[in-house]
Amino acid sequence: MTRVVPVPQSLDHLSIDQLAAGIGPWPPEQRLLVDAHATEWASPAGFVALLTLGQALAEAGAAKPELTLPVKPGVASYWAKVGLLHHAEPLFDIHGKVSKRGVETSDTLVPVTIIRNAADVMEIVGGITQRATKLLMDELELDAKVVGGFGQSLSEACQNIVEHAGTAGWVAAHVYVYRKRLSGRKVAVIAVSDAGIGFRRSLEATQGKRFGDRWGDAQALETALIHGISRFRDPGRGQGLTGIKRYLTRWEGSISIRSGTARVAIVPPWDDEPPRFDGLPWFPGSQVTIVIPGKEPAE
Amino acid sequence: MSALIRVDLMLREAVDTPYSDLVTRPTGAAVRDRVLTEMRDFSDDDAQLDFSEVGLMDFSCADEVIAKLLVAILEQPLQRLMLRGVHHNHADAIEHALARYDLVIVAIGIESPEPHLLGSAPDDWRDAFRMLIRMGRAAAPPVAEALCWPVPRTVDALQGLARRRCVVAYPDATFDLGAVA
Repeated sequence: MTRVVPVPQSLDHLSIDQLAAGIGPWPPEQRLLVDAHATEWASPAGFVALLTLGQALAEAGAAKPELTLPVKPGVASYWAKVGLLHHAEPLFDIHGKVSKRGVETSDTLVPVTIIRNAADVMEIVGGITQRATKLLMDELELDAKVVGGFGQSLSEACQNIVEHAGTAGWVAAHVYVYRKRLSGRKVAVIAVSDAGIGFRRSLEATQGKRFGDRWGDAQALETALIHGISRFRDPGRGQGLTGIKRYLTRWEGSISIRSGTARVAIVPPWDDEPPRFDGLPWFPGSQVTIVIPGKEPAE
Repeated sequence: MSALIRVDLMLREAVDTPYSDLVTRPTGAAVRDRVLTEMRDFSDDDAQLDFSEVGLMDFSCADEVIAKLLVAILEQPLQRLMLRGVHHNHADAIEHALARYDLVIVAIGIESPEPHLLGSAPDDWRDAFRMLIRMGRAAAPPVAEALCWPVPRTVDALQGLARRRCVVAYPDATFDLGAVA
């Protein structure tokens, strides 16, 4: 028997909830068929979430899932171009025409990339600096101060995986146009996802007792993101997320973190995402999405 | 005398990387150890960390390289540490890291030769520091007069800066910026 998990038509950091709702009990007893045939668009958050699902299934010892590629022309080839299919091949039995097109990095900030250790983080940050700087300055018209913060945020978001997840994860970053939310302004989106232990389990030993019955995924996310508390007692720890938050607050960016059954976000005035959402369908690990808006066009 | 330590060279010696970015905690810890070893080898009282050839520095590395290094140095009797060649993104990360420890350091940016304070310092310390830059070596009373402050307030600020080794206090009750000036 196979359980079909529909992938939404548009897969982003919010519609991961729909993907999660299709998974059912964990670990699944049936083989999963992740059905993206009707998917027309996916954000970096969608790409890394798909890989996280495949990775979590493999690590749970579940049957290797199937992945049906989008049928809309151009979508699957774009997934190949950004590196998704390269990383998906070992994790899924893929159905559909797989483009032989290699990964192209010319117009992406960071193609889909695996993060296993600190050396991977150094490679990602070092490898993108020049190209990303040019893209962020040319496409988003950001000045050097804002561009530096992009690299710092990318580095810290990736390090969270190495420091806390207990397993590997994925990162991708692209430039998009936010037509509705920002009236056509371009944004840089960084998405990081892992299939690890999640924020609740990472913080439980040091923070769980303080909150008693209120302890859960949402409380753990608020503890880390809002209060800057890490599982380490070292006063210098927890700087990554607080540094990202400070940078995003200054430049009207947003950060949204989903872990387990909750999502907590720092929401700028231009966005209407709820700052805290509890009781979501469970999804493995943690997913961090950072949005940095481009320069506001002159009136 | 002030020893100049190039952080980009410390990075290359500590970690096998083709890049000049200071990112990740393990990298920061390795660079800090390398810098501490280098400082022990110098007999100079002052050391200046030169960041001019360093690319990006993230918040975790700022904690490992600067904040924890400063904590270690403040436990030793003599040495002062200052920064030079600091880019904007470095300054932002260092300020963020030092605030957590209530520490402050003297830095010179890549774009301006004027020393400034990075980290956690009361406004009085910052005002007294800027005045000392203008005046050069001075005792508290003339600094107080220039700032239109009572002398005890000025003494508090200058001694606070000296305790954090941002200025040098001399036996004749004068203060200056030491080797960074």
